[in-house]
Amino acid sequence: MKHRSTYVFLSGVLIALGAGWAGFPYAIYESRPQPVDFSHKVHTGAGGMKCDDCHQLRPDGTFAGIPRLEKCAGCHAAAMGSTAEEKQFIDGYVTPKREVAWSVYARQPGNVYFPHGAHVKQAGLSCERCHGKHGQTETLRPYQEDRISGYSRDIWRGLTMGDCVACHEQHGIGQQGCLDCHK
Amino acid sequence: MRKTTRRDIFKFAAGSAAGLVFTPAPWRLITDTALWSENWPGIPRPARGQTRTRFTHCALCSAGCAVRARCVNDQPVSLSGLAGSPLCAFGLAGHQLPYHTGRVKTGAIEEALAAIAQRRSHDAVAVLDLRPGRTASWTYRRAMAALPRGFYLAAQSAIPAVNLDQVRTLLSFGAPVLDGWGTPSTVLAARSHFRLIQAEPLESHTAMLADLWLPLRKGSEQALALGIAHVLMQEQNAGASFPAEATAYSPARTAQLTGLPEAQIVSVARELAPGGALVLASQEWPEILQLNRLLGSVAHTIVGRRETPVPASWKKAAPVTAIEAVPDGSIGVLLIDESVCDGYLPWNAIEPKLAPAPLVVTFASSRAGYGRYARFTLPTAVYPEMTDDIPPALDSAAATFRLATPLVAAPAGAVEPARFIAQLAGLPPADALRERTDAIQSSGRGVLRTYADGKSIPVKGVKPDDFWKVLNEGGCWVDAPDPVEPPASACQSSSAAVVAMTWEMRLARGPMSPLLSKLYEESNLRVRL
Repeated sequence: MKHRSTYVFLSGVLIALGAGWAGFPYAIYESRPQPVDFSHKVHTGAGGMKCDDCHQLRPDGTFAGIPRLEKCAGCHAAAMGSTAEEKQFIDGYVTPKREVAWSVYARQPGNVYFPHGAHVKQAGLSCERCHGKHGQTETLRPYQEDRISGYSRDIWRGLTMGDCVACHEQHGIGQQGCLDCHK
Repeated sequence: MRKTTRRDIFKFAAGSAAGLVFTPAPWRLITDTALWSENWPGIPRPARGQTRTRFTHCALCSAGCAVRARCVNDQPVSLSGLAGSPLCAFGLAGHQLPYHTGRVKTGAIEEALAAIAQRRSHDAVAVLDLRPGRTASWTYRRAMAALPRGFYLAAQSAIPAVNLDQVRTLLSFGAPVLDGWGTPSTVLAARSHFRLIQAEPLESHTAMLADLWLPLRKGSEQALALGIAHVLMQEQNAGASFPAEATAYSPARTAQLTGLPEAQIVSVARELAPGGALVLASQEWPEILQLNRLLGSVAHTIVGRRETPVPASWKKAAPVTAIEAVPDGSIGVLLIDESVCDGYLPWNAIEPKLAPAPLVVTFASSRAGYGRYARFTLPTAVYPEMTDDIPPALDSAAATFRLATPLVAAPAGAVEPARFIAQLAGLPPADALRERTDAIQSSGRGVLRTYADGKSIPVKGVKPDDFWKVLNEGGCWVDAPDPVEPPASACQSSSAAVVAMTWEMRLARGPMSPLLSKLYEESNLRVRL
């Protein structure tokens, strides 16, 4: 057959492109659901709450991150609504006083230091600037963990070092040293 | 249909490899493998937990910079300075010091105590303090006063304090001006106002960053000082107090001795003449220090500073003795506090003063310093484990009192040198730091600064317990501005043997973090100065 070699070569190229673009992302990430089907929309919408009602900065400027059970139990010691998710949360966590093992989408590797206080209080950035519309989601999407590195897939979505540097350059924050973020 | 050949397989593989290059797979695998390797077993990682900020002061040098420590589960994971007061590369990595593998953690404490007790009644005992002016220094002086033949030896600077704001030309004879000499933030702020002339045989870090480097011959520093004095005396008809030998150091002879061009020596002297000059040296050679008197720097760029208050009962203390004033062969027991070090005495200056078969005990975290000559090296806490006060920095015109409070616990076998020596001399047990803070508070002078909220409160309105609490939480006492004349002894060398410590010397003397030395050598933190 004429051009057989070319077809064999191109078929290798095409199969590799398909596997690399379509198959690889499924293979590299392991998906798992969050332990509780939490709705941000219920809390920020009808509940009228703001991000920093739960995700607070401590008085010393450090970020408290995901609220601990004690904070949730402040409102949900007894059911406030009639959903199955809330009942499951109260029975499974609040009543037995068991902390929820949330998987944190935006958790960076241990050698990265991100001061929320400096960005939110001093620079005046909104939470959505980095976290998108996470605060308006109905349900928590599955957490995708990289099978090799063990980190969340989300750290590659707008939270890479290149993103940080680009934003700093855009806002004229020059003279960045490694130690500014890598402590 | 044609059979699949080996050639087809290779072509297919080559096509696949070429195709893969244009997919995210290989690039992501490279990144993921790197991230995976960061989490191999055995690689230390701070535990996840509550993050808190604590304030303290860096005790690595007498600059005593304010430190903001980020702690996870009470474990410091990063240190940084405050706004406008950056930490040097050493300070940034200070929290790694306790974990250095070369650190001394055990020592024969009981044997050392027994050996000292056996000899202290009939031998002269001396304490060598490498960071005088601390509360521990006062304890040593009181302890030596309580012993029948006690000496307090200190690596004390003949320059009481420097006002860098007034300096227009700084002539440094090997002093590490940009390499650990002053407070980084103060030097950084003043650097644009003064011209730095570094006279040093080697191209040190300071020499590299100086406005002018004078690469003079090794050992010809005093000759250059006398040559400059000669030009000043001739051109300004001044300097009656200067050694008469300066008349013999004409520019031509000085040029011959130092290897510098004659015209350059004259030009440097003329540059210093208009005022605002400051002359520093790595060792306190009198010829060099006295240039300051000739240039009118005393009470101008060299200023006096009030003493930080101490309890009245402490005044019955042994005087500060220069090593040269101690009779040869007289010291039977030498105790060296090497736990903190700002200047040091070379061993060849100490050795002649020791009696035959001396007992040398050093308090240190490493055997790399005087531990090489000591019979006992007793382990001490290191920064940031130690509780100690930091004397005012050389470039601070006001008296200060700051505490380095522990961020992590010291190992069980660590000795507190001041407590050890106080017990040895039979001083009553007391918390000397608390006694001193009470004395400062009762003086009513100055203000108390807190870094957490950036406030300054007059001391008069603060209760003793609150004063103590704020200092322990990273506060700083600063004396009220009240200029005092420099003492008559200023710029008259107390001990020519004392050598100022550079950061390179600190690296050589004791365990330092590998990250710290890498940062120091390679980062632009130091160059920013």
